[in-house]
Formats: sequence, C-alpha cells, structure tokens
Amino acid sequence: MCGTCGCGSPGHSHAAAPPMGTEHGEARRLEVQEAILADNDRRAARLRRNLAERDIDAIGLVGGAGSGKTTLLEATLRALGAPDREAVVEGDCATRLDAERIRACGAQAVQVETGALCHLDAHLVEHALDELDLEPVRRLWIENVGNLVCPAPFPCGEGHRVALVSVAEGDDKPEKYPALFAGADLLVVTKMDLLPHVDFEIERCVRAARRVRPGLAFRVLSARTGAGLASWLDWVRGEGR
Amino acid sequence: MHEARICLSLLKLAETHLARAGGERILALRIEVGELCGVVPAALRSAFPICAAATRAAGAELRIERSPGRELLLRDMEIT
Repeated sequence: MCGTCGCGSPGHSHAAAPPMGTEHGEARRLEVQEAILADNDRRAARLRRNLAERDIDAIGLVGGAGSGKTTLLEATLRALGAPDREAVVEGDCATRLDAERIRACGAQAVQVETGALCHLDAHLVEHALDELDLEPVRRLWIENVGNLVCPAPFPCGEGHRVALVSVAEGDDKPEKYPALFAGADLLVVTKMDLLPHVDFEIERCVRAARRVRPGLAFRVLSARTGAGLASWLDWVRGEGR
Repeated sequence: MHEARICLSLLKLAETHLARAGGERILALRIEVGELCGVVPAALRSAFPICAAATRAAGAELRIERSPGRELLLRDMEIT
C-alpha cells in the first residue's frame, strides 16, 4: 500500500501529482446536504420525545462560568417548593460541587464531569439520566458547562433553552457570542442587585440578542434578593412560552 | 474548543456517504458553516488534517463556505 496516500498502488509519485482523482480512477461529485452534527441532533430529538412522553418538562440552562446558573436553580427549586418533582443534570469540567448544592435543595442531581470537554451533548445527558429516578420527576433541568461558545451547536434534549447573562459580565455578551443566543428560547439577565455598581444596559443586551433571535423573551432578576423571580417562575411553570 | 469533535462527526458522516456510494477515497469536502452556528472556521481548518489523517479523507481539501444562519452542513464531496 502506498504509505503517503494510503491507496492500493505502491511506488507512484506524489511530488508531481496529477489533478485530483485522475490517478486512481475518475473523481466524481457526491451530493450530501446533511447536518454535520446530525447524530447529536437525532439523539437530542429522541431524548426530547422520550421526556415529553413521560410528561417531563426539560429546560436547558446555558451561560458563561459565573453567570449564576446554579444559584438561579437553587432559588428556583426552593421557590417552587416541590423538589422531589425536579431533577438536575449538572455539567462541569471537574468537581461535584454543583450537584451537592442542588441536593441540598432536596432535588435529585447527577453531576457530569466532562473533563476537558467544554459542553454537554445529548449522549452525555442520556447516560446521566440513567442515574436518576425519573418516576416522580416532572421537570428536568440540564445545566450546561459554563461556556458562552461551545454549547451552542449541541442540543441536549431540552424542550426549551435559557441563556443567562449576569450584569457583571457586560451587556455586550449577545453581540460577542451571538450563536448561544440564536439558539435560546429565553434570555435571563441575572444579578440585577449589582446593577448600581456596573455599566450594564439591559436594553442593549436584549436588542443584541433579538438581532439573532427575533422576539426573544427576557427576564431580569436577582436570585440573591428574589427581585424579578416571580416572573421567571411563571415562565418556568409554562406561562408565555 | 470543540472543533476536533466536529471534525470527527464530519469525517464519520463523510465516510458513511462514501461507503454508501461505493467510493474509495475522499478528495475534497465542501461544508457550510453559518455565522451563528458556533463553529470557528479557522479552528476547523487546523483540526481537520489531524483528524482526517487516519481516514479515507486523509489529505483531502476542506472547502468552507459561510452563510448567515445556524447551518453546519456537509454539502458535497469529491470522491473516487
């Protein structure tokens, strides 16, 4: 076998290679037109269907590290008051810290330690679900790895995806990381209690997100003080989706 | 950085179509990368030759076309 190109004929030259394909048979064009991540898309669709059939509302949370995803979840689980009906898949590169925080709220949690992997995908979530008792669960939260870039092309089986931006991160995030917001069903601006201390224009943030996702709904809240939480909880319960 | 993972998915898809068409080798791949799909063409370009080395697309040319949306597609291939 030729060691350079791996073809079946030994001893031919690559230095003055003829036009593509003419050396080992005629080149031809093969039409494909298929999504490169179709595999993950199919898995995610199957997962979404399975969860819907089990009457489980699956909500994905995406946002940068430190945007307040876990803190919002803690406040949400406590406010909804039925943690036995909630379960959480937590994605992080390392540690089980977040899952422990969720369990302290009384909900089931499974931690996916992704190692160097920068996002969750449908396959990882499918396996994580094996570790949960979904029977009593009516709502599944999928908290992605803190990252504004990589989770974007990988749906994880959630029915709705929520993108978080904290006011401390800056109102330019949807402009700088449009892909994440293009795939979101709700924008949540977190840590509004810090607004007096930072330069963050809610309108600028929302406008940029809506450029890539027209009509995107948004909520502004502080999980720490509880401000704005009621309107978020309405959305979680299914109002205005 | 997930471009290596995306290259592997691309190559798997490409090799599946190659086998279905009874082809031998992949000489070039034309893909569409939307501005909003969350994939960086430059990173894809650097990951591709390494990921492709042990496949039937070794040495293949990666042609990247941009579009405004969220598409990430394998459009077509040149094969023998």
